[in-house]
Amino acid sequence: MPHKPITRAALLVYGILTLLVLYLPIAAIAFASFSKARYLSFPIERYTSQWYGKALESSTVSDLIVTSFKVAFAVMLVSVVAGFFGALAFARYRWRFRGVFQKFVLLPIFFPQAVLGLALLMWFNAIGVTPTWQTAIAAHLVWIAPIATLVIAIRAYGFDPALEEAARDMGAGYWQILREITLPLLWPGVVSAGLFAFLLSWGNFPLSLFTTGADLTLPEWLYAKMVSGYSPLVPSVGSMTLALSLILLLASAACIRLTGRRRRRANGGEG
Amino acid sequence: MASQTVLRLEGVTKRFGSFTALDSITLDIADGEFLTIVGPSGSGKTTMIRLLAGMDAPSSGEIYLSGNRITHLPANKRPTCMVFQSLALFPHRTVGQNIEFPLKIRGLDRAARRARAMELLQLLRLPAGYYGKGVMQCSGGERQRVALARALAFDPEILFFDEPLSALDYRLRKTLEKELRALHRQTGKTFVYITHSLEEAMAMSDRIAIMRSGRIVQTGTAAEIYNTPKDRFVAEFMGEVNLFPVEGTGGGHFKGLAEPLQAGTATLALDAAARATLMVRPEFVRFLAPGEMADCSLEGELHNEFALGSRVQYEVGLPGGRALTVEKLAEARFDGNYGDHVTLGFDLAHSHLIREA
Amino acid sequence: MERIEERQGLLSALPVLILLGAIFLAPLLVVAGFAFMPPKVFHLAHLPSFENFRIFFDQGYHAPLLRSLGMAGAATVLLFVLCYPLAYGMAKIFGRFSLAITLAVVATLFVSENIRLFGWVLTLMKGGMLPGHLEAWTGLEMDGLLYNLPIIVLGLTYAYFPFMLFPLVQGISMVPDDLRLAASDLGASRLRIFLEIDLPLAMPGIVVGSLLTFVLAAGAMAESKLLGGQAVIVMADEIETAFTYGQNWPLGSALALILILIVGGLAILALSKIDLDGIMGRRS
Repeated sequence: MPHKPITRAALLVYGILTLLVLYLPIAAIAFASFSKARYLSFPIERYTSQWYGKALESSTVSDLIVTSFKVAFAVMLVSVVAGFFGALAFARYRWRFRGVFQKFVLLPIFFPQAVLGLALLMWFNAIGVTPTWQTAIAAHLVWIAPIATLVIAIRAYGFDPALEEAARDMGAGYWQILREITLPLLWPGVVSAGLFAFLLSWGNFPLSLFTTGADLTLPEWLYAKMVSGYSPLVPSVGSMTLALSLILLLASAACIRLTGRRRRRANGGEG
Repeated sequence: MASQTVLRLEGVTKRFGSFTALDSITLDIADGEFLTIVGPSGSGKTTMIRLLAGMDAPSSGEIYLSGNRITHLPANKRPTCMVFQSLALFPHRTVGQNIEFPLKIRGLDRAARRARAMELLQLLRLPAGYYGKGVMQCSGGERQRVALARALAFDPEILFFDEPLSALDYRLRKTLEKELRALHRQTGKTFVYITHSLEEAMAMSDRIAIMRSGRIVQTGTAAEIYNTPKDRFVAEFMGEVNLFPVEGTGGGHFKGLAEPLQAGTATLALDAAARATLMVRPEFVRFLAPGEMADCSLEGELHNEFALGSRVQYEVGLPGGRALTVEKLAEARFDGNYGDHVTLGFDLAHSHLIREA
Repeated sequence: MERIEERQGLLSALPVLILLGAIFLAPLLVVAGFAFMPPKVFHLAHLPSFENFRIFFDQGYHAPLLRSLGMAGAATVLLFVLCYPLAYGMAKIFGRFSLAITLAVVATLFVSENIRLFGWVLTLMKGGMLPGHLEAWTGLEMDGLLYNLPIIVLGLTYAYFPFMLFPLVQGISMVPDDLRLAASDLGASRLRIFLEIDLPLAMPGIVVGSLLTFVLAAGAMAESKLLGGQAVIVMADEIETAFTYGQNWPLGSALALILILIVGGLAILALSKIDLDGIMGRRS
């Protein structure tokens, strides 16, 4: 249907406004992190970067970063491996229980995370496991492994099964096909799934809340500080985690662009 | 030429749930022949080639390769190779890497692989410079050649083709048909080709098998099937045809059941009261000048004329309401106007009697 | 070979299945088990009891449950109305620009929900970014905008925006343009086209989006804690309180089980009605 320019313009303006609102609170955090006052109040009178220095000096903050990083990294590895094979079962192979499997994999995404966290706490208690940052890895996987599966599955749907059949026809075995055909073709999906998994775990709070035991992740610590009155470290540490997400995101975008360009060049312009 | 059977199917049946895709197929494929399996979509030809290549297993029946039972051998254990309808070229690999793939799987070293790939590029008349080119950058015809080169690199005993030319335009298809035919002669390998296009089948193959509803209806050379089809389905599938239901009246004489056929003295091998279908191809029907004789003649009215380039086709309305198709070479064009009353005739030597149960 | 695919499908599914069996199914079974234990025990080795469910009704726990469901419903409706025009633009009009919007929206997901909500606190509190600046410009005394029920609904709307937007985009892009053109050609008004073509054909996306936001919002906790202070108690708060301050695992489990049954039931119902292959774009 032909859309009038005015409709187009109105929707564009609406889209930009929506984005502004989405980023408004993030901007508030960023501004607050540079406020010199011990007790924040807008408009900000004097700016300073001292809170970043304080945060970086704090051994608590560096411990938190290390813990969060360890958790996110482990979550990324496990969910990418499980998600890769899961995506093949989800989208590629035709097998009897595929429909049931698809629904089962998606189900955890629909569950309240805090409740899942509590359920895991009771489960760990029932089997005699003391919650630490390692148990938080398991907790994050409940929600993140299905998402990784989904992200790779979207890629696997656009994959011509004849490619695998052709490779098998020419004598390739299962692992050869996986290494030579399936993995390279699903690679972009695998990379985005890894990125998703890392960042979602890095920022997750409700699943960590009950499952880290005595250990703390960054979002947990931030939450504890937020509800116990204002601390100027919250905006600065928050901005730092935000910056890290942004750097990772930009770096991977640049990576994808570069490899894309290299492949395009190899293929002489067609993509 | 008495050739050996290389691939043999015995009572092969394939069921998907309650649907029978292949119904007890028995077929011998001779070593070195170019066999084309033709059938409309849904006839089971794709199922058949997948069974032959080892991508599916039959529900019952057996398949033998050079006398060895391979019914349940998976595709990667069979010395056969298939060219897919989508070609299944690996998009993330270059032309060279695609061709070398089966050699790499076999464990050949880099230099040997490259040498073989170069030979194949030459055999398929692709420039040597294409070795490092991305496959997605090649044209449709070039991709066909790359797919062929890859299949030949595997050095299969039998090459299967699953309608690889169907997505190409007419001219390119014609060129590749000829190249495929030449390649078959050059390599001496057994080619088994499936297609829904009869034209393609007739242009390339030594032998054609016609499929319908999961069964092979008839096998034979193109001429055999064209001139002496076993049933109405094959007759109609093999191009334009005129079919007259007839009944024997004793002594080899007969009468038309749908429209009056003026039969002369010539006779058919048809018993009294027996019914059959008399088939005449449009190119064997003549417009009779006054006084001109034919074994069989009938009256009609000229309805339509279609110019087909080298040939002209006429649609003639018959008294019973049916229409008859007549075909002439363009230089022997019949001069008539729409609505003209015409007399048509054909000789029984050019007809074929189809008896069906 | 379909038998190979049968086996490969099962084998490939296995890692995820084992993982989810251990960290999703098993914990839920434990929750279900504890829900039928007598109050204040910490082991499953007791005789089953329905005491917790009696407490649920007697002590008025249905109020926070209804509050949670009501706020989730409101947030879902609000999100649908807010997201639909944008999703339509992204699916049908914007072209390349919709990729930019997608990336920008996805990027917000990678910032901890806490931090974003805290950003709203800093924006809306007394002396926050909005009231503070308004006060400075207009000279009028401004109060904070926090700590009430509508602000929690807005918080939910904000937090789950992407979960409504992307399924809607996916759903709307499944509506063929030709169909809309044909309907308009046949004289259908814009409203008619929307009601009879867009809405039914985009329904899988609408169902997934609405379900996802409703379910996530119904179980949300951070919004009410951060934006609502202690003014509004939701179901997830009650569950947490029962576990932590109350030290009453069976009661917490019973409350969790009730929420899980509502939410999980809805999820299973909707998932069973959707053609996942269709919405995710399988080729064949």
